[in-house]
Amino acid sequence: MMLFWLLLPPLLMFAASFSQSVWARRLLPISSFAVLIPVAILFRLPKPYALWGDYLVADDLNTYILLLASVVGIGVTLALLTLDRHVRISQKALYRFYRFFGLFWVGLSLSILANHMGIFWIGLEMATLSTVYMIKTNHTPAAHKEAWNYMIVGAIAISLVLFGIILIYASAKPLLGEKAMLFDALLHSAHRIPSPFLFEMGFALAALGMFVKMGFFPMNLWLAHIERAAFYPVAALFSGILESGVMAGFFRFSQIAGKVNYDHLFLFVFVYTLLTLFIVSFLIFRAKDFMRLFSLSGVEHMALIALFWVSGGTFAALLHFGAHAFLKPALFLSTGVLESGGRYRFAGALRGYHGVRGKLFWFLVGLFMLAIVSLPPSPMFFSELYGFGAMIDNAKASHHLLAMLGAIALLLVLLSVIFYRFVAIYQSMKYEGEETTKLVYGSEVAALAIFAVGLVALLLPGTLAFLKSIG
Amino acid sequence: MVDFLIGVFLATLITALFTTRLYRLLFWYALNSLTLGLLALTIGTRLHDRAMLLSGALTILLKAGAIPYILKVLSRKFALVRQIPPGIKTQYAIMLVPAILVFTFYLAEPISHMVQGNANYVAVSISSLFLSLLLMIEHRNVAPKIVGFLCMENALFLLGTTATEGMPMLVELGIFFDLLMAIVVINLLLYREEAQS
Repeated sequence: MMLFWLLLPPLLMFAASFSQSVWARRLLPISSFAVLIPVAILFRLPKPYALWGDYLVADDLNTYILLLASVVGIGVTLALLTLDRHVRISQKALYRFYRFFGLFWVGLSLSILANHMGIFWIGLEMATLSTVYMIKTNHTPAAHKEAWNYMIVGAIAISLVLFGIILIYASAKPLLGEKAMLFDALLHSAHRIPSPFLFEMGFALAALGMFVKMGFFPMNLWLAHIERAAFYPVAALFSGILESGVMAGFFRFSQIAGKVNYDHLFLFVFVYTLLTLFIVSFLIFRAKDFMRLFSLSGVEHMALIALFWVSGGTFAALLHFGAHAFLKPALFLSTGVLESGGRYRFAGALRGYHGVRGKLFWFLVGLFMLAIVSLPPSPMFFSELYGFGAMIDNAKASHHLLAMLGAIALLLVLLSVIFYRFVAIYQSMKYEGEETTKLVYGSEVAALAIFAVGLVALLLPGTLAFLKSIG
Repeated sequence: MVDFLIGVFLATLITALFTTRLYRLLFWYALNSLTLGLLALTIGTRLHDRAMLLSGALTILLKAGAIPYILKVLSRKFALVRQIPPGIKTQYAIMLVPAILVFTFYLAEPISHMVQGNANYVAVSISSLFLSLLLMIEHRNVAPKIVGFLCMENALFLLGTTATEGMPMLVELGIFFDLLMAIVVINLLLYREEAQS
């Protein structure tokens, strides 16, 4: 029954998008807001909670991720209310956007709540395919090209994930039979998997597919180009919801891989994320517009979350994950105003805001810009402290202490490059360039305020205790 | 019989790589899917696996019949370019294909003794995956890229069938559903192609 309530709002959204009537226009955002209600109820239920046998099981980790995603969904819906004031979009295209948004929610909910590798993959594929059309709502040649790029590269990434799942299934099927598809069964029997090498091959391929989807090495720029070409709410959906779904999968797979052979898992993820961060930090340094800057910063934070998670800093990873899930969509949604009138330059982007709404807007955006580079009291400051602490503990326990500490030092240098660039951009936004008047709408400020409240909520003692309990 | 079907599966994919006409490419894709469906039916009969028999029948119906037909209708509707010369010259492709085959057999060697069933089937599945990727890469037109994506899905289905003696029914039905959704999305994306041609 709970599953029905979870899927009802997005299915209503999907159905209402076919009607052009006035009530449908009202129902579309309402159904999107309504997603939060069953998720909040599910969040409060005792865990683990079986939604559909062994296939869909809610636990603390996935309900936390789903709750974050549904809050982001509300913020995105608020931004959609005034999308047509910033960009040219027809009513029909907006309805279609909601249609695929509904499908996207169904796919993502299945994927995040899945205890079954197959359902995780099906949900992720469904969400990927539904975002293809969302990119195309922007009727420009660049958006059209990027929609095809997303379709093809996304399909390759998702195929790699399925390839990995098949190998993982093949490695454990002699022991577990059809239960070899279940995450919890694999986790409990990880030490007894008959072909650990086959499992690790499968994990490496699945992780590679997930990393490609999140824009890790060698596909660092593909998401940035797509997000640049699409309307800004699509970028917010990608960073706040879709990437969260992919990361949820990575958490599940890596938990099992860590039990099969922790050293192999750590080395693989450490080298991969370090390589990604090395390239991304220089790309951020050269970024010339907000969309690409925020997109590349999203890749940086996803790499850090993966790194903290496999280093044993699960609390740090989850705190960082929550902070990123609120901060990045907030910044992406603010680009609708920051780049209004086709001005893609950083200089003066935070000037020209008048009235209470305008002042609140620039204050919140300024705050988010500084919070994303972990200035205290941003939750990212604390998550990075705990995360690097976990990495140093890991280095002490390893046989390669100096190499590990050297790698951590390199990582800190790369993060400093990103920090320097963001602070320079903030100063340019606030103190340079011409001042032109920009319009800010109430729903946009409301969306940013929701994200700000979410960030504060992450620092409450109850939330921190909850995140530590998941770890 | 299984060896013969796997051979035909690989042969149709290799032939598709050298095809320069769109309808012929769809024909090779349909044949590729047909052999895959027959393979699932053969293995399903041997193992008395009803789920595999059902997915084999669905493969023949959907992938060997409905999807190539829909793609042909779409290509007519949107007047897609039917001449699709591969970007890689034939003389280089002739060298590349065996290289991929040898490489994947070498790559799959450590895995092959760990899986149930015939080890070579896994190697063929992986090489089919690489060949499908090559099909996507070597063409500039959209239609062959779509066929490459569909062939990649076939290669994964083959891997699932041979390496694990069939994936759970739920997963296979889900994959079919996603495939149909992909066709719907492709249809929506092609609206723009119509304007360009």
